[in-house]
Amino acid sequence: MSDATSGATRAVRPGGPDRGPQAARGEGARRILGRIFTMRNIAVTVLVVYFAVFMAYPIFSAFAGSLHKWNPLVDQYDWVGLDNFVSVLTDGLFWKALWNTAVFSFFSILFRVVIGLGLALLLSSKLVKCKDTLRGLFYMPTITPLVAVSFVWMWMFDPQFGMIDKITGLDISWLNDSKWAMPAIIIMTVWKDFGYATVLYLAGIMALPTDVYEAAQIDGANGWQTFRSITLPLLKPTTLLIVITSLISYLQAYVQILVMTEGGPGTDTYTISYLIYDQAFEKYNFGTASAMSVILFVLTGILTILMFRASGDNTEA
Amino acid sequence: MKIRRLVAALIATGSIVALTGCGADPDAPVVDTQADKGLEVMGDAVIYDPNHLVNDGQPITVEYWTWGNASTDPIYSMIDEYEAIHPNVRIDVTVVAWDDYWTKLPLSVKGNRNAPVLFNVHNSYDALIRPHMEPYDIDLGDLEADYSFVDTHVDENGDVKYIDSVINTGAIFYNKTLWAEAGLSDADIPTTWDELIAVAQKLTKVEGNTMVQAGFNINGSYSAIWQGLNYQKGTLMFQDDGTTANYDCETTKENLEFLQSLYDEYGIGSVKFGDDRDLSFGNGQSAMIYEWGSYVGTLATNYPDIDYGVFPTPTFDDDVPFAYDRYNGESTPGINTHQSDEQKAVAQDFIRFILANDDYIRLASQVLNSLPAKISLQDDADILANPMLAAIAPRLDRLIWPGPTPSTLETSPLIAFENVLQNGQDIDAAVAYSQQLIETDMEDSAFTSMEDRYAHYDEHN
Repeated sequence: MSDATSGATRAVRPGGPDRGPQAARGEGARRILGRIFTMRNIAVTVLVVYFAVFMAYPIFSAFAGSLHKWNPLVDQYDWVGLDNFVSVLTDGLFWKALWNTAVFSFFSILFRVVIGLGLALLLSSKLVKCKDTLRGLFYMPTITPLVAVSFVWMWMFDPQFGMIDKITGLDISWLNDSKWAMPAIIIMTVWKDFGYATVLYLAGIMALPTDVYEAAQIDGANGWQTFRSITLPLLKPTTLLIVITSLISYLQAYVQILVMTEGGPGTDTYTISYLIYDQAFEKYNFGTASAMSVILFVLTGILTILMFRASGDNTEA
Repeated sequence: MKIRRLVAALIATGSIVALTGCGADPDAPVVDTQADKGLEVMGDAVIYDPNHLVNDGQPITVEYWTWGNASTDPIYSMIDEYEAIHPNVRIDVTVVAWDDYWTKLPLSVKGNRNAPVLFNVHNSYDALIRPHMEPYDIDLGDLEADYSFVDTHVDENGDVKYIDSVINTGAIFYNKTLWAEAGLSDADIPTTWDELIAVAQKLTKVEGNTMVQAGFNINGSYSAIWQGLNYQKGTLMFQDDGTTANYDCETTKENLEFLQSLYDEYGIGSVKFGDDRDLSFGNGQSAMIYEWGSYVGTLATNYPDIDYGVFPTPTFDDDVPFAYDRYNGESTPGINTHQSDEQKAVAQDFIRFILANDDYIRLASQVLNSLPAKISLQDDADILANPMLAAIAPRLDRLIWPGPTPSTLETSPLIAFENVLQNGQDIDAAVAYSQQLIETDMEDSAFTSMEDRYAHYDEHN
């Protein structure tokens, strides 16, 4: 092979050993780009952009909107300072909705935890067969769309043709009676959500150390003592997870209210989130709705922090 | 090798295109060169001559937004007729669910982003869309000559941006089978509320302590019926300033007390029948309900086996009242003022086409079970063969429209009704609370009542 030939070959092979200054610059740029566009950087950028666009921006918009008289449909965005907060906090319906939200959240969480834990204990015991089938059945309502479930339960609660009154022999107008409307919504919500708690508790129970139970058995602890002194404390992280995720979810509950009662009878099942929906999308008072959202956001944050703190203190004790 | 791959790729692409139908669109608009098609000129005062070229015969596609489908929105059929006359025009229909419609439409039209040029209108959302609507390019005198109630749609600039195609009001639907079982006949059709109570008592069935059949079910209907009852007694929905709601008044309280007595004193219905009277009537559990014309469609679709009749809403005595009830019109389409001149010209032509065309009104009357606003069709025998329309037609002159009232005038009184009948609250407190809700909701509303445009306005209390 002559030099000329080899030179020609080198000339047409980019990135070969005899690169000129331009090729060297290209290599440098590629290396810098390679460092910038690593998988880690790309993933982080995507997450940051996602967070900024879909989470930070809406939250910031709600904060800003709460200080304005705001109706985007007619281009209204007038500064009103804290007026929206004043009108919300002096509105009797807001406080009623807040109370309804508290009642709904408390009982929904309570029954979700109790039923979830009870079924998990049952499924982890030797008393029950077909565990996998039952676990699947219990979890099924969780993955069913809430709107569909709400419609079905609304019909089940119907006093004329609903199966609840027919099966129980009761004569209750569930969703049209102020005494029963909220309990009916809680029943539906707990039915839909207990499966999630069951599965989480089941995972928690499976992970419990067996040596502690063996020690308790040797010490002569009975079933209740074992449950109260070992199982329950060891499941505290799971309970905390369920309570906090439930709290955040239930403070924002409105779909079942919208479908089943539309806040009625009267205003007896108005919750904060339903009120926010009503103000924003029925009355187009986005400023008022934003102020309510900010209050709910702060409230949720405070409750979550309090729960973490209480849980931490107990753990240390 | 490369050629073989290229051929294979071409065959694959061709197959995919053929299979997915990505070829020429058979419905694509084509150039129209024939202005004079020998078609008849339509209309009486509003005239449409189809023998002309639209958009100079050049292909053009426009968009129409609606929440309805072909069985509830007559515009679908009119589009077919129009495209047959003008093959260079294609009108694409986009359906947006009602719940999203009134958020998406104003935002879309306002910024003119992916916005339609034509859109379905509901007058209760007038304030949101009126600023973005183009006035109709039709002489006001011609519109008034052909259509009733046009004056209620003339704005402060003398512009008309939509009118009523058909109008409707409430009436009493009764189950003929249950009626016959109770030994009742058409001769028993009540004309006063007292007579209705007597008939309803015969239709009510109680087993033990449980009512199994309601004679007259008003659950959920209060949002509409309170307005009619107040009008029957000559009380307006708004005070003299035209902007303050007149809900908290003696007439409202009297009427709410009357409605409460239907259940508590006369026992002809019960709140235990749920809040969906339509469902209860459809299931044959309620013998009579108050409903509007669209319910005819619901019955036809969901409860085709129910044998029903319709009679006019009773009054408190035999005298002609101030108004029998309120009415509401189904609106003609709106035109997006932000669209291009070419698009708007097509839209204006389409609007003239439908307003001059009796087919549109006949179809609207049929699918919406409503009376024609077009004067020439108000006595039409075919249209009045519909029992719902026959029931309300004689009252046309005594129906009042309060204007495009904000929805709080319906939702807040319903809360009062539920607070009184379901929660046992005192009537005065419940009515005062709902008045307060209405006033809060209307704080920034630019709404002004149209009640003073009613022909018999001077007779009110």
